[in-house]
Parts: sequence; C-alpha cells; structure tokens
Amino acid sequence: MEVRRWIEGDETAKEMLERVFTQRSSLALPPPLHRIPLRSGDVVEIAGPSPSAKTQILLQAAVSCVLPKEWKGTYYGGLGQTVLYIDLDSKFDVHRLLQMLKHRIVGANGHSSSGCDEEIINMCMKRFFYTCCYDSFELLATLKTLHYRLQRENLALENHGHVIMMDSIGAFHWMDRACTSFVLEGYNRKSISFQNVMVIVVGELRKLLSVHSMVVICTKTANLGNYVDDRNFGKRSAPDNPDSLRDIGNGRRPVFREYMPSIWQSLVTHRIFVQALGDQVAVRKHRDGMVYSLEWSLPCLSFSDKFVVTDAGIALV
Amino acid sequence: MAPLRSLEKDYPLIDADFQGFCASHGILTVEDLLIHDLHALLAKADHLPRPERFRQAVNQVLCIVDGLHRPWLNGIELLRRTSDFNRVLSTGCGGVDSLLNGGLQEGQVTELAGPSSSGKTQFCLLAASTVAAMHLCCVMYLDTGNSFSSKRVAHFVSRVLGTTSEEDNSRSFQQAMSRILCCAVFDIFSMFALLHQLEAKLKSQVRGSVGVVRLLIIDSISSLISPILSGSGSQGRALMISAGALLKKLANEYNIAVAVINHTVGGENGFPKPALGETWKTIPHVRLMLSHDFGSKACHVSILKHISLAPGASTRFVIE
Repeated sequence: MEVRRWIEGDETAKEMLERVFTQRSSLALPPPLHRIPLRSGDVVEIAGPSPSAKTQILLQAAVSCVLPKEWKGTYYGGLGQTVLYIDLDSKFDVHRLLQMLKHRIVGANGHSSSGCDEEIINMCMKRFFYTCCYDSFELLATLKTLHYRLQRENLALENHGHVIMMDSIGAFHWMDRACTSFVLEGYNRKSISFQNVMVIVVGELRKLLSVHSMVVICTKTANLGNYVDDRNFGKRSAPDNPDSLRDIGNGRRPVFREYMPSIWQSLVTHRIFVQALGDQVAVRKHRDGMVYSLEWSLPCLSFSDKFVVTDAGIALV
Repeated sequence: MAPLRSLEKDYPLIDADFQGFCASHGILTVEDLLIHDLHALLAKADHLPRPERFRQAVNQVLCIVDGLHRPWLNGIELLRRTSDFNRVLSTGCGGVDSLLNGGLQEGQVTELAGPSSSGKTQFCLLAASTVAAMHLCCVMYLDTGNSFSSKRVAHFVSRVLGTTSEEDNSRSFQQAMSRILCCAVFDIFSMFALLHQLEAKLKSQVRGSVGVVRLLIIDSISSLISPILSGSGSQGRALMISAGALLKKLANEYNIAVAVINHTVGGENGFPKPALGETWKTIPHVRLMLSHDFGSKACHVSILKHISLAPGASTRFVIE
C-alpha cells in the first residue's frame, strides 16, 4: 500500500501548476520597471551613478506593491504585497512615500475624499516595513533574523508575497575593504572582509528566496570610470583604477567599475542601468527638471527608456 | 565585539561545550557567528552528545542577534516618529529657507559646496546664530580653518534677538551665545573622537528638552578628508565613508541637522564641481552649490541634489 501511494504521487501536474501560479505569481511593476515582468525568486539590481533617481524608482515600486488590486469598488492596480525596506544609505524619506501613495490614490479615485483615503492609506502603510543598518554587522543580523520574523508574521497576516528592497547594497563596501587588514587573534578565524560578508548576505537571501515567495530589488551605486564617447574622440577622461570594465552596448557607451564580488553577481537575475542625461546631451531639460535614462542590461534590451521624477512619482517621457 | 564567554553569565545555555565547539570552528565572538553559516554549523553539531541543547544555544544566540539591529518599523510608526521629532530649522536667510521648504531639515545631512569666498562660512555662522537664538537649542560648530568669528556671531545673534548693541548684557543674548559650542579640529581622527563624544552625549540627553544639540556644522569637511584621499589606496576612502556614515547615523538616530562644507575643484567644461569625488556623492541628503556674484554682495545658491525636491532650482541671497 505504501509503495502504491508513493507511485501515485501527491498532486497532478495541473494542480501543481495552479498552486505555483497562485503562490508564486509574477509581478508587473509600474514604469519604468514595466518592460520585463518579474517572477518570485528574481533579484533585480538597479545600478547607476549618484544622483540618478534610483531611490525614487524603489519608492515608486514600493507604492505599487503595497496598494491592493481592488478595494471597495475602486481599481488601484496594485499588487497587495508586503514590502521590507532595508535602508543601508539612510536616505529614506517616509513623507515622500506618503506623497506618492496619496497621488496614486487620488488618481485612481478621480477625486480625494478624506475618510476613505485615511483607511486605505493606513492599510497600505501597515504593509510597509522599514529598518536601517549602519554597518555590515547590523545588515547580517537583520537578514539572519528575518526568516523567523517572517514566519511569525505569516501566521497573523494572509500569505501574500514579499518584496525585499535594499537601498544601496554597496554602501559598506569601502569600510569592509579596509577591515580586511585587521589582525584577529586565534587561529582559524574568518576575517571580516567584504567577500565574507557578501557570501553570508547572498546565502541568507538565497534561503529566504527559496522558502518564501519573494522578489529582491536592490540599488547599487556605480562609479563611472571611463567615458568612452564614440562620436567625439577628444573627450576621454582619466580612468579611475578600473578592475573590470563592462560595456552596455548602446550609442554612447558608459562603462563602470564592478566592485561587487562574483557571488553577488551570480545571484542577480536582472540588471538595470540608470543615469541622468543632464551632461551628456547638450540641453535636455524637460519642464520637470532632469531627464534620466534607464536601460535593461540583463536581459539586454536594445532601447532605453527616458523618465522624469515628478511629485506624483516617475513619469515616462 | 562581545566574546561568547562573557555571555555565559546571563545566558547559561551558552556553556563551555558550546563555546568549545564554536572555538574549534574559529568563532570566538558574536560577530564571528554573524559571518558564519548557522545552518552548516548546526549540521556539523549532530554528532555532539547533546545536539538539542546545542540547537537551543543557537536559538538563544539568534535572540541576542535580534537585538543587535534596529527594529523593524511599519509605515504608520515611521510617520509618527518623524512627525513627532523632525523639525525644520530656519537658517536665518529667507531665500535659502524658501528654496529648501523651510530650512535645514533635522535628520538630514546638507552639503554646501562652493569656491573660496562664496559665502559658505558666513552662511554657517548665520545659521548657527539663528538656531541658537530663535530655536533655543545648542549648536556644535567644528572649525577646521580658524574661520569662526565670535564677533560676527554676536552681530547675527543680536540682530535675530532684536537688540541694538552688541555689548547688550541681557540674559537672552548671553544664553544664545553660550549655546554655540565651537571646537577646533585639524585632522580626521580628532573629528571622529569629537563625534563619538557627541554621540555619547546625545544618547543620554532627553528628547524635547531645551538645550539639546540640534545642529552640527563642520567647516569644512573637505579640509579634513582631502589630505587622506589618494588615487588608489582604499584607506582614505574607507575613512571618508565611515565619517559620512557616522554623520548620517547622528542625523538619523538623534534627529539633528548636519551641515558640512565642501570646496570645489575644476570639472568638465570649466564649471566647478564639488570636491571629494564620486564616492562622497552618496553621503549627503541635500547638496547645494554656492557661488558669489562678481561685483555685488549677492550669493547664488542652487540645488544639486535633494531627496524630495527637484534639482536645478536656485535663488539669490544677501548676508549683511
């Protein structure tokens, strides 16, 4: 009898697909991240020099994630997920998030009515969790205890998916590099280096991704090294000690230095590159200020999107 | 770095067996435990005589680790925290106040960059005087180039308070002047020492009481950092980022406004750009560029970067 049960299996293929598609559904994020739908288990890295509106993109995505799809008859088009925002750069402004959320709600309603708005704002803000870390140890402590926290909270809330957002994964990179030269007593001790810290961060993220239905979106500051301008050969500035240059095949090829170790690069499944267009194109001022360009480098799309940052969030140009 | 044996007194589960097992894997402190894979460690512990006790000890350590990071706050709690505590400090200069939606924001690091004699120090002296006289809180002023002038500060304070003579011995004038603490620092290590002392003092002071430090001004941070920044070495950049991280922590955790002054270097097309390079750009929340109009007393200030306003906005102001 046992053997028969073992052969028959637990569920049919149809049941399995139904289960996977509801538990691990795909996320369609708002512009400018709308080109590629994300599935749970994806890790997106948004890289760009400073300032290039990366945090604004994260906030826009966070607003879409916390809004419900539909509520009290109005269609909001959100994803109804929990957002876990880990701030390594201490740059988060909760009022900006609230401002973007209010704009979306008023836009969906067509008008603003304070009673209903209060309720939905409270509901959305309850789905947004925030913590900040001032060094790598705090980041490791946060990630190691996150799994248990999620297990505890899943018992209370319904089982929605989660989105982890990390603002600036390379924030402690210089500090950890300097720590490598510390001498530790005792044999067999692992030194506190950037590589070791990243190994554990990646390990914890992999465990979280495999157990929970989750997407990770990170920003990373990319320091531009060479500006290689195909059109004007004279404009070549001094290189900034490049370890490995990377091209993002496009007309004017910006290259930047990759400082994240290979273990992190192997975790990332999608890569985006953002930069401000202010100084590359002669006078490109939209009425709302700076225009930014966004390119998908993994998977490689051959065109780039342009956007501006407005009070309501991000608008494509 | 708490060594595991010092935890034995408070947490009896972390006994000598546990410490011995950890030491054989090179784990002597709680931080070492953070950079090891705990599941792999648990798997190796299966051959121990009492694996259950080992598991409990690991859970105990995880509870301790849970206390090492900042707590998770949800959106509502965040809003309550910022609306209760974060105010905007007026700088005393109407033009800049209107540009920045009120002035210097508590909890943020503001950078003022500009070439020489573009009004940076004057602006900082004015801001310090205004905050001390009008907002009734302490200002900490770190001076790296002997440019702090108490006469100028007295002039600004008496102007804010509305008294006519500088020698006025009224109580409010004395109190306002005594709220501005000026320290001379000439290298980055003494700055770190001062900031750590400030952190200890801020931890112990009660929020909302009169006489707490709400504004920290560093004039100028570039003269402390530029000498240690060299092209290829990482120590200089690590110190710069650590200094920046400490400033952001002070601003964020203790709700103070931090203003740092930077000088400029030549950039592309001859326009000056702020010094300290690309790596520094991520540190300040708000970056302002000052310049002095030739032949007039007016200074021109523009926003290079702001976390919630559009860059490019600018205005003019005059400091008498």
